[in-house]
Amino acid sequence: MNASAVAQLVPCWSCKGPVASRALFCSVCGAVQGPGAIDHFTRLGLRPTFEIDQDELERQYFGFQRRLHPDRFAAKSAKERALSQSQATALNEAYETLKDPLKRSAYLLSLLDHPVDLTACGTINDPVLLMEQMEKREAIAEADTPDAITRLSAEADTEVLACQCHISAAFAAGDLDEAAHLTIRLKYLVKLADEARTRKTRMTRAMR
Amino acid sequence: MAYSDKVVDHYENPRNVGALDKESSNVGTGLVGAPACGDVMKLQIKVSAEGIIEDAKFKTFGCGSAIASSSLVTEWVKGKTLDEAAAIKNTEIAHELALPPVKIHCSVLAEDAIKAAIADYRRKAGLPEDEAEKAAG
Repeated sequence: MNASAVAQLVPCWSCKGPVASRALFCSVCGAVQGPGAIDHFTRLGLRPTFEIDQDELERQYFGFQRRLHPDRFAAKSAKERALSQSQATALNEAYETLKDPLKRSAYLLSLLDHPVDLTACGTINDPVLLMEQMEKREAIAEADTPDAITRLSAEADTEVLACQCHISAAFAAGDLDEAAHLTIRLKYLVKLADEARTRKTRMTRAMR
Repeated sequence: MAYSDKVVDHYENPRNVGALDKESSNVGTGLVGAPACGDVMKLQIKVSAEGIIEDAKFKTFGCGSAIASSSLVTEWVKGKTLDEAAAIKNTEIAHELALPPVKIHCSVLAEDAIKAAIADYRRKAGLPEDEAEKAAG
């Protein structure tokens, strides 16, 4: 983690002068740089924490993307156009990962060498979580009035937010096992909230 | 990605949807979920005094492939012994349903669900849970 906080210097591909690995442009010759091998937080100039300032994230991302707009590179060499595009792609990936609390949590855990695999084929062995999710998915499937589904949907949304708070607390306390456990829980809660919203939309539409 | 005809058939006409009494001593319940999809699958078996699976039910909240995988497994296990049912492999399920690589985890889920249901039944009946491994080895 400390390594990412320290500005690492690499030679600029164009003038060979030193340039920070997270810099978009060389401060000496002004040439656009390729995306360095840095983590998503560093790329967007943020501290590697779960709790992030969404406004700052947006500001950083859109600020960087503006400077990489293709129009600015129309008259540049093919190499610079290609580099600016890979920078833009890397920034997109960083932004998409960090703006979503579930992806951010999983990503931060992998940065901290405590990976939780949300694409795992294997099944999870958490009977309490599974039982709870089974019951809630049943309740959503069986909800037969717009009021009932609206209430369940609101409950599911509240649980997603509560889980995010718990994840934040776990990271703050340095309890990565708990953070990993809660991240899998969040994955299920997000799915539950999605299902509830879909059913609510369908049901309220049918009532009209 | 298009679902195979068999997946569509099981999805549209799922076999053995429902529940058995999980408190009953001759019923084993397996409850599993995969982080990949955030889905949950419950598979239950009812075992005769002779150790044959007489009935099987499932309830799955998930995609078409997960529903088809669990539906197929309930069909397959009926009439089988516990050891035979425990030997079902996810690759057989995936092959039968022609699941694409991104949906293989659905068949893994179904295999884990039947194994969990058998383990639950064995626990209740006081049978050693690793019987299947011993028989296989």
